[in-house]
Amino acid sequence: MALTTAQTGLNRARRGVAPGGPGKPANRKSKLSSQTRKTFFWLLLPSIALVILINGYPLVYASIQATHNGSLLDTGEFVGLDNFATVLASEAFWKAARFTLVFTIVGVFGSWLLGLGLALLLRTKIPAGGTFKVLLLLPWVVPIVVSSTAWNWLVGTPDSLIPSIFRNLGLGTPLFLADPTLAAITVCIFKVWVSFPFMMMMTSAALASVDTTVYEAASMDGATRWQQFSQITLPLIARSTYISWILMTIFCVNDFPTIYLLTGGGPVDATTSLVVLAYRTVFQDFQTGPGVAIAFLMTITLVVISVILYRQIRKSSVE
Amino acid sequence: MTIKSSVASTAFSRRGFLGFAAAAASAPLLAACGGGSASQSGGGSGVIKFWDMPWATPAYNDAAKKIAEGYAPASGNLKASYQTIQWANFYQTFSSAIASKTGPAVSTGGGFQAFQFEQQGQIAYADKVVDELKKNGQFNDFLPGVLEPFKTDKGYVAVPWQLDIRPLWYRKSLFDQAGVAVPTDWASLLEAGKKFKSMGAVGFATGSGAGNNIGNHLMIMMMLNNGGGVFTPTGELDVMNDRNVEAVEFLLELVSNGIIDPAAVSYTSDNLNAQWKNKKAAYGMLTLGVPERVGDTSGDLVVASPIAGPHGDKAALIFPNNIMMYTNTPSQASSEAFLVAYMGQLKQLWQQKLMNALPVFKSITELPEFTSDPNNVKIVKEYVPIAKTFAAQGTQLNANLAVLDGGQALNQFTQTILTGKTDAKSALQTFQSGLQSVLKK
Repeated sequence: MALTTAQTGLNRARRGVAPGGPGKPANRKSKLSSQTRKTFFWLLLPSIALVILINGYPLVYASIQATHNGSLLDTGEFVGLDNFATVLASEAFWKAARFTLVFTIVGVFGSWLLGLGLALLLRTKIPAGGTFKVLLLLPWVVPIVVSSTAWNWLVGTPDSLIPSIFRNLGLGTPLFLADPTLAAITVCIFKVWVSFPFMMMMTSAALASVDTTVYEAASMDGATRWQQFSQITLPLIARSTYISWILMTIFCVNDFPTIYLLTGGGPVDATTSLVVLAYRTVFQDFQTGPGVAIAFLMTITLVVISVILYRQIRKSSVE
Repeated sequence: MTIKSSVASTAFSRRGFLGFAAAAASAPLLAACGGGSASQSGGGSGVIKFWDMPWATPAYNDAAKKIAEGYAPASGNLKASYQTIQWANFYQTFSSAIASKTGPAVSTGGGFQAFQFEQQGQIAYADKVVDELKKNGQFNDFLPGVLEPFKTDKGYVAVPWQLDIRPLWYRKSLFDQAGVAVPTDWASLLEAGKKFKSMGAVGFATGSGAGNNIGNHLMIMMMLNNGGGVFTPTGELDVMNDRNVEAVEFLLELVSNGIIDPAAVSYTSDNLNAQWKNKKAAYGMLTLGVPERVGDTSGDLVVASPIAGPHGDKAALIFPNNIMMYTNTPSQASSEAFLVAYMGQLKQLWQQKLMNALPVFKSITELPEFTSDPNNVKIVKEYVPIAKTFAAQGTQLNANLAVLDGGQALNQFTQTILTGKTDAKSALQTFQSGLQSVLKK
């Protein structure tokens, strides 16, 4: 009986339904007059034109480059979808795609878990909480060139700090950036370290909006701390969470400097992501068409992932 | 009790979100297709725009700027302006500027950049400049063989102005401590390396981490040092020749014996410099000016003599850096006049000890400011005569060498060798396939 009461209370709290039942839904759409619509259109037109110019032109130019065999200076001959076929048939592309997937999954969920944990911790009253919060933001604030140099100093050579600690503990001397597997792991951890403050801030903001009386009500209904976390906290911050996942997915897939500055994509392409591969193909191998084709494929994938996650957001808001 | 989530649904439309997501997701596309920033005005602005790279410390660029902007043209010719272009994404910077007709009239740049832009019809040939150099005596002052690589069927693509070379260096105190002689050939390099390994030092230091191309250059240098090379004398791709296989087998032997540091594959330039500075590196191939680069000018870091391969071959890798002229110029005659005048003032840069490269003129190698460094003298005397370019066994430079120098195929090959998890023929085969797919026929 106590459990049923708690469950009902939790469901009600999660849906934002008061004990007296749901109120009358607000009329969200107001009808605009035809004249107002026209005014809005003309006011928005310069901005729309500017956005089309800024984003549209490079996209159109990129699509031209992706279907031609030219260079940065010369468009070259039209080759249809040959560049896409070449890229999709290349082992390097699929290797980079696999690493990008791993890097993104670890980057998104690793930073989210760490950020969530710290956000929950910071919600409790701890001494010097404000200072602690500022310090935790540093990895996000510090320029990536500086942090990658610092990480190289920590792990780059057998005499660096972290390998020295391992050696002194009798755990051998791991070559964090020279061993392909360890390099991939190191780059992923570096990404989590750089990204968790963003997740922490997003989650902190979402948690701050949750009314504490919900927890009081749930406690009175006998809900455990885990039930409160899993059935109140997580659902109530779900929209914010999905948004942060989408943003972090885009950040990870597009992340060039984190990888390039720490490993350059090596050793032996072990940490080459799609964006690094696109850069190297265009600017080191001077293969503009295939390089831009890689970027197009990335963009399409990102849009698809974003749409899927957006549907999750809608779903969570309906629930 | 009504609970309001701060994530208000009304503020978040589907269309708006998808627009944002698409814009963010298209970032890689924009990055891949976009050009670099080129804030210069057009080429027809009545001044010869000279773009120069940061070849040494900022003091170098200050001195070069002074020369360029101090140039007093003869009547009818235009004055020159000077701008430093950073190495980061330099090809992108040049390409976008040239495409938008805002590029330079004259520039230094990447070693093979002139050939890349020549392919695209953007380079003005320097034959008239060479004729002028013949008249003023500078032509005969060129060190042997430095101008020829720039001559094509259509004319001189550029004019060399400094030489970047890869000599072998050693730390004297470590050799004294180990009680071994400085290597003279591959066999003695192997033996000395084993001794250093037992001491905890590195017998053949190199690096191939982010932004470090020393490892790439070492691979090619060792092939050249064995009489091999990536191309035939006529410029055909020839990676799988026996001399290359032998050179790579030797490199793999150095790796398997720990003579090449197992972590070298990830060493950046800073990591490698630190290894030399911390007296862990005993011997290895580097650039000019290692004592200054590493921060140890005590005289303990010294240029070694070139080593001989197992068949007695000796070679060094050299990059003749050059000055090129572009077709987009307000006045071709003014570009040529400026270039001739600038070449005549180059010695100032060595007199002020600003250069971390060899000069192309004999007269500069004889300047007291240059000869005061015995390492410089040794490099000019022992390395320049045996130096070969990336084009070896050919001699003619071309645009494909830019792909070889900075491309993924060589870097992947180098890193494969430095990890030691391969055999010579497989690694070379993959290298050849990689090059075949990107080199223009």
